[in-house]
Amino acid sequence: MSASTSRSRVLPGFGLSLGCTLVYLSLLILLPLSGLAFKASHLSLAEFWAIASGERALASYRVTFGASLLAATANAFFGLIVAWILVRYSFPGKRAIDALVDLPFALPTAVAGITLATLYAGNGWIGRHLESLGVKVAFTPLGIVVALTFIGLPFVVRTLQPVIEDIEPEVEEAAASLGASRLQTFSRVLLPAIFPALVTGFTLALSRSIGEYGSVIFIAGNLPLISEITPLLIISKLEQYDVVGATALAMVMLMISFVMLLVVNGLQWWAASRHRGDGPSDGEVR
Amino acid sequence: MSIEIRAISKRFGGFVALDDINLQIPTGELVALLGPSGCGKTTLLRIIAGMESADAGQVLFAGEEATHVHARDRNVGFVFQHYALFRHMSVFENVAFGLRVKPRKVRPSAAEIRQRVNDLLKLVQLDWLADRYPSQLSGGQRQRIALARALAVEPRVLLLDEPFGALDTRVRKELRRWLRRLHDEMHISSVFVTHDQEEALEVADRVVVMNRGRIEQIGSPDEVYSNPASPFVYQFLGNVNVFHSRVHGEWADVGRAGGGPEGEATAYVRPHDIEIEHRPVVGSLEATVQEVHPIGPLVRVELAHASELIEVELTRERATVLALAEGQQVWLKPRQVRVFAAPSAAMEEGGSGI
Repeated sequence: MSASTSRSRVLPGFGLSLGCTLVYLSLLILLPLSGLAFKASHLSLAEFWAIASGERALASYRVTFGASLLAATANAFFGLIVAWILVRYSFPGKRAIDALVDLPFALPTAVAGITLATLYAGNGWIGRHLESLGVKVAFTPLGIVVALTFIGLPFVVRTLQPVIEDIEPEVEEAAASLGASRLQTFSRVLLPAIFPALVTGFTLALSRSIGEYGSVIFIAGNLPLISEITPLLIISKLEQYDVVGATALAMVMLMISFVMLLVVNGLQWWAASRHRGDGPSDGEVR
Repeated sequence: MSIEIRAISKRFGGFVALDDINLQIPTGELVALLGPSGCGKTTLLRIIAGMESADAGQVLFAGEEATHVHARDRNVGFVFQHYALFRHMSVFENVAFGLRVKPRKVRPSAAEIRQRVNDLLKLVQLDWLADRYPSQLSGGQRQRIALARALAVEPRVLLLDEPFGALDTRVRKELRRWLRRLHDEMHISSVFVTHDQEEALEVADRVVVMNRGRIEQIGSPDEVYSNPASPFVYQFLGNVNVFHSRVHGEWADVGRAGGGPEGEATAYVRPHDIEIEHRPVVGSLEATVQEVHPIGPLVRVELAHASELIEVELTRERATVLALAEGQQVWLKPRQVRVFAAPSAAMEEGGSGI
């Protein structure tokens, strides 16, 4: 940062804070990840490909990313409803419910996994009834989706709440007075305003789900090719002292996640910038 | 279309927002609901629009019962104080919204919608902003777009909730005149809420003065200003000097009809209805000049009588002739006095009405 640019800014400390940001991010994120890439580079391309595209590995990608997408989608839908109700309506016990939303953040994931596994197992409170309907949840890929939905919910709710608070109720009244039905008001007025935040919440829930390990292994059953997630595969490789193999899988996950996040961020940026002007006009009123 | 309000009441918990309101608004009239904040004027407007439901009473549109008709079926245009434009839509789409959400059978074709929206944008003189977004507009522009949006569905009634409240004085004056012209061109009934007496008196055909959930007076702007029905209306519409009979004996007795000698009375005199004289005349009040402020075309003189402040407004010519100096002894003579019997604390302080 040259002296001239820093002098032209009204807010001081740009150079210092940018420096802090770069050092912090480098130490915490970039350095470990480069270490990972460095370790993986010990493999030749053919070896890397052999590990990354093994049958078990491919199945685990499908389970991990498939279950994460499903869970994040479910959370986007129900999280929107929860956030809406928490912002727009007042009812007894609202604060308790609001606090409840944060629990998945705080609860050790293993506890969540064990609890869910007990509930959804064939003899559990919920599993018992589902099983009589022919639906098996615990120890199947469906169980993975349940666990990931549990841990992802707060991300959607907490991202949406401030945005919904920001929408004036008057906007809905305006739409009604112009003859719009409730459905039209939602799809044409409310959803477009919420959409960027919904995508953000979805992305956060998705990222969290992809990396989730603790809660999933208790409910998944962990059958190779069926209900084995990639993080578990990485751990089992590590336990066999196959560090290089583990890093190869990690690299694959890293790359897929990175591309997915890039796409979702691009979508979100597009949605947000569609209705953002170049700033206020010259203020002329004529 | 005419609007009739019959015995409307509304409470919010223990607070009485509207108490037995009766009002008739004939077709084509521009009516102002005027009152201090919390007097119930916005609640009444929202009940007319169907955004709030009344606890009791009826709303009739053109003689037809509309009390339980949903807001979207009332065909009412509503303009909000803070515009409530759809942020993610361009100006064009905002105005087109009411047309686009119509059921397929009655929805105009895309070309018709384009034509209608462009006409409306021309009407509000903002057709060059069609592709902008609300965040790129100034306050006055936003409010005109909000008005165009409300007019797009050809409402039978136009309701405006403090439409110019968030704008600066110059823009407000301009929009006021413009609203008046627009109303006359559109041949609809309009009701607007304001707490600004100048706005109400300038724009409206009729002014409804409200206070604490009741209507104090209904009348033409001239009527409510020059012939206020209650001390509240007197005080709310413009400045006024209040004289109590125990302090300013003779003055308050002027125009008092009967009443025992111990009955207290209060006289209301507008600052521009007081004449200043250099020598005593019959029925005049002695006062000392405290301060002389020339304000624009007027000169405001503050005088003291028995430690109470009296405000007088003079034209510049009159002030030049009088050549008032601070500390000077003068005599005041009222041109027009209005006396109300027993000054009730409730009227002045807004306490309980017992």
